[in-house]
Amino acid sequence: MSIVPKETIEVIAQSVGIPSLGADVAVALAPDVEYRLREIMQESIKCMRHAKRTVLTADDVDSALGLRNVEPVYGFVSGDPLRFKRAVGHKDLFYLDDREVDFKEIIEAPLPKAPLDTSVVAHWLAIEGVQPAIPENPAIDAIVPPTENKRSEHGKDDGLPVDVKLPVKHVLSRELQMYFDKIAELTMSRSDTSLFKEALVSLAKDSGLHPLVPYFSYFIVDEVTRSLGDLPVLFALMRVVQSLLRNPHIHIEPYLHQLMPSMITCIVAKRLGHRLSDNHWELRDFSANLVASVCRRFGHVYHNLQNRLTKTLIHAFLDPAKSLTQHYGAVQGISALGPSAIRLLLLPNLVTYMQLLEPELQLEKQKNEMKRKEAWRVYGALLCAAGKCLYDRLKLFPGLLSLSKRPLLRSNKRVLTNPNKRKSSADLSSTQPPLKKMATDATANSMASASMGGNMQGAMDGFSNQLANPGMMQASSSGQMVESIPSAAIRRDQGSDLAQRVSAVLRQAWKEDQDTGHLLGSLYEVFGEAIFSFVQPPEISLFV
Amino acid sequence: MEDEEMEKKVQQYLQRKGFRLTELALQEERNRLSTSANSDVALARSDNDPARYHDGYSRLRTWAYSSLDQYKHELLRVLYPVFIHIFMDLVAEGHMQEARSFFHTFREDHEVMHSRDLQKLEGVLSPSHLEEMELARSFRKNKFKIKLCEYSYELLLQYLQKTQALVVLGVINEHITFEVSAGQPSLISDDADVVALIGTSKDLAKQINQKEVHWGLLEDSVEERMEKALAESDKIEAESKDADAEDNKKRNAEGGKQGASLKKAKKDKLVGATGKNVRTETSMVSVAPRVKPELTLPATPVEVEQSILEDLRNRAQLSSVALPSVSFYTFVNTHNGLNCSSISHDGSLVVGGFSDSSVKVWDMSKIGQPAKMSSSQSENGSSQGERISTLDEGKRTYTLFQGHSGPVYSAAFSPFGDFLLSSSSDSTIRLWSTKLNANLVCYKGHNYPVWDVQFSPVGHYFASASHDRTARIWSMDKIQPLRIMAGHLSDVDCVQWHVNCNYIATGSSDKTVRLWDVQTGECIRMFIGHRSMVLSLAMSPDGRYMASGDEDGTIMIWDLSTGRCVSPLLGHSSCVWTLAFSCEGALLASGSADCTVKLWDVASSTKTLKTEDVKGSSANRLRLLKALPTKSTPVYSLRFSRRNLLFASGALSLSSS
Repeated sequence: MSIVPKETIEVIAQSVGIPSLGADVAVALAPDVEYRLREIMQESIKCMRHAKRTVLTADDVDSALGLRNVEPVYGFVSGDPLRFKRAVGHKDLFYLDDREVDFKEIIEAPLPKAPLDTSVVAHWLAIEGVQPAIPENPAIDAIVPPTENKRSEHGKDDGLPVDVKLPVKHVLSRELQMYFDKIAELTMSRSDTSLFKEALVSLAKDSGLHPLVPYFSYFIVDEVTRSLGDLPVLFALMRVVQSLLRNPHIHIEPYLHQLMPSMITCIVAKRLGHRLSDNHWELRDFSANLVASVCRRFGHVYHNLQNRLTKTLIHAFLDPAKSLTQHYGAVQGISALGPSAIRLLLLPNLVTYMQLLEPELQLEKQKNEMKRKEAWRVYGALLCAAGKCLYDRLKLFPGLLSLSKRPLLRSNKRVLTNPNKRKSSADLSSTQPPLKKMATDATANSMASASMGGNMQGAMDGFSNQLANPGMMQASSSGQMVESIPSAAIRRDQGSDLAQRVSAVLRQAWKEDQDTGHLLGSLYEVFGEAIFSFVQPPEISLFV
Repeated sequence: MEDEEMEKKVQQYLQRKGFRLTELALQEERNRLSTSANSDVALARSDNDPARYHDGYSRLRTWAYSSLDQYKHELLRVLYPVFIHIFMDLVAEGHMQEARSFFHTFREDHEVMHSRDLQKLEGVLSPSHLEEMELARSFRKNKFKIKLCEYSYELLLQYLQKTQALVVLGVINEHITFEVSAGQPSLISDDADVVALIGTSKDLAKQINQKEVHWGLLEDSVEERMEKALAESDKIEAESKDADAEDNKKRNAEGGKQGASLKKAKKDKLVGATGKNVRTETSMVSVAPRVKPELTLPATPVEVEQSILEDLRNRAQLSSVALPSVSFYTFVNTHNGLNCSSISHDGSLVVGGFSDSSVKVWDMSKIGQPAKMSSSQSENGSSQGERISTLDEGKRTYTLFQGHSGPVYSAAFSPFGDFLLSSSSDSTIRLWSTKLNANLVCYKGHNYPVWDVQFSPVGHYFASASHDRTARIWSMDKIQPLRIMAGHLSDVDCVQWHVNCNYIATGSSDKTVRLWDVQTGECIRMFIGHRSMVLSLAMSPDGRYMASGDEDGTIMIWDLSTGRCVSPLLGHSSCVWTLAFSCEGALLASGSADCTVKLWDVASSTKTLKTEDVKGSSANRLRLLKALPTKSTPVYSLRFSRRNLLFASGALSLSSS
């Protein structure tokens, strides 16, 4: 009959001290109880509305009871909405979570903080209908689309085909701003945490970041120029760039022109990091790879992208006034661009550069430990680059080398890995002439060794000449460069001439049809046997 | 013994079948029989006494009117058939005199809905007439069908059972069938045949709405004088216009009005432009007819008038393309205690009414300035037990008004900001002076909480709305109300003055809005259409339209002269706490519990109205121009300053749920 069952009435009766309530009394009371409940609710809802609230509170019920001249229910008033709990096993039975409170606890508890007094704060909700982006106003979510509709409307209204260019407003959502701030903070101060790694993953994967790209690119450019002395930061920045480049949802092309200079800076800057222990080489390598990847990806869209890059790099490489670190960066940058770039840019200048580099490598000539180390770094980079190039060629024309090399390699008993031992190796080779397996240009071999060691040390000359002759014989036997014999003879005394010869070969290196053998030969002359590590294993096995 | 058993069986059968009314009737009859055995005479008398018909009906009627709001309109439907059949029963039994008096006592209730039937029945004078009259016969033959929801039906049964209303029960049993539907009661507005609420029925509303409303503006208002001055200055301008540059012309016009203009050329241009705007705007207003005030209006002080004129000159012209600036006053740390707030016309004072019965006033022009002890305020502080403490310890930023003994539900500034009214659940209204910071008068008259109080546009008079279902008109100098507007069927929740001070509008929990004539105290318009409690009202400045907002978030614009809804504005998702028209009436601002201020275009719709001449007005919808979300701050009050700057206020409520 009514939603209040008579059992409820009985329970209530018991709770107020009437142990046995007549059944018919309960039945008669139930509908009235329901009516009164509804009445009280109706009034309390009115009170709630007039207190301009949308949540009913115990206060409202009390005021409603007051309206009906009923004593209010004590003990439920609280500022917060009451928290009900669902009774276990019952779907729609709720109760108030009413903990037992220890008096002692309450008395001993420190006084709660006095609540703050009410006050009024004024702000602009809107200025001529537009909400200013201030913290008092809610964040405008999502980017406000450029006002294209408006523009079209304008066009219609005026009846003139005037394209009114409205200033495009770029509004960032609060979330994106926070994201940006967080990333920036991580990059600048906590790039060694795992959180930063997570951030990089997020940067590389999240789809909604496009609005941030201009901010990121500005941030990167700004910070790179500012913190050239801070290697970790630079590294972190480059990692951010890498992540951005990786993100498939980001259209980064329009910002490349901003980012490229920063990346190149990280390759060829004179000093990166202020401490000696800073491993700036790694950063240079990393950045070089980054730049190369950019060229590979966008090279076809921007034709002058690689041109400009290589120009910068080669400029750094060929300028003797530049420091070795810069040279190193340039070499790495070029080498990252691939074998063809190496052939085209590095190899032709290799010999000349080696002349420049040689004194730096020598313990005797370069007393500065630091400088010498740097020089060796550059040397390593060059070797690596050349090797890469060679490897590439060998892959293309494996037959050429194996043919010409076999007779020579067979007799090669030792592999000299470090050109540092050049002299000793030269000594050894003098006893074992066939060791000079340079198939094509035997003379060049000798000349190279002359150029390497001999030029500097008079004693070397003799050795190298001795070496050269048997080598020459071998070379002619392989049926190439016949005229090299007289030329070798002529050049026997003129080391510089020989060097030019090598460089001539190297200069030709970019031509596709150039024999790989030539190349290997020249490179061997420059680097010694270290270059062999770039020859494919089958060859090595043959060799050994 | 046998009989008893039989009776029991019958009762069980009835119970099983759910013939509840029959069961009740049986019980009644049995009771009566058992009592009649004891007092035959008494029964005989009571049985034949025609007065019990009268009593039975009037009791049913009172009960129906005092029932729960939600079910009231359904229960009221039962009254009409009961009325008719009791009348016919009386006639049939030959109590002609009683039948007549019964008919005349209660016919008013049904006059509106069933006036034709009543006219016919009025002529029934003898039992034989009943036989002859087709209407009566059809009433007798056919049963009335009444739709009720489950709970209403239950309530009715309970009532009949409890009060032993035998006569009524008999009538209902005999002549009415109920269609009981499960769930919520049907909505009034959904009823095609609104039998229901007396006075809320559409016919009555129509009838009431035929009365004349002079919605025009007051004669000789400040605005009008302003306009006249402008016209004069235009004349001067026309005379002095000797092919000058436009810039010069404007300056002249401005100079004519403003006397000495000290402003620079550039600013002058700007002011000139606004002056022009005011001109066009006032000319628009001037379309509205002028009416004479029915009340004796207080005189406006000269300096106040000057400042109003100044404001009018500097008014920003608003339209659908020129939206207002909104300054928002956020109440912080209210601890859920803020019940209402209000802003003075110039936006310098903000008042908050709190559930701890305090009223606090902030002077926004002083906020931010170093708090200085004002000795005069503390001197005036404590008088007649009402404590007013200002800048206690130099820390407090507001003036505290204490005096109420219950939650404060409404507060309002007088038009010039020197007085403040507050209404409370202690059923009093208090008048405070913002100059003296003291309580001046306590108005006692209502019997229940006063939900709303509003100053008239000219000050001095004010109106209040209360839980006691009345609205009252007061003047500041009398402690008794001048008028009591009674008629709403439930709480009067909000009240608003018409711009010409001759009318007030009230919104109620009975889901209607009524317009009352202040002079006569009569209801002259009834606006039916809201589906829930009406919470806020606003009058357009030209006096022609009224906006009302309800609990569901619906806003309706009403044409006062026709009493019809111009268009419903749908957009808010929760209670519309406040509404405000911009000063020239082009925009309507609404503030809601859904934490937004919405701006609506009124001008466009009124324009189309004029061209289309009202008909088909429901088709054109008012446009939502802009929704301005706040940061989890429900909007409690809105106010357009005279210069058309919009002020809004609300309590920051970080969701605790």
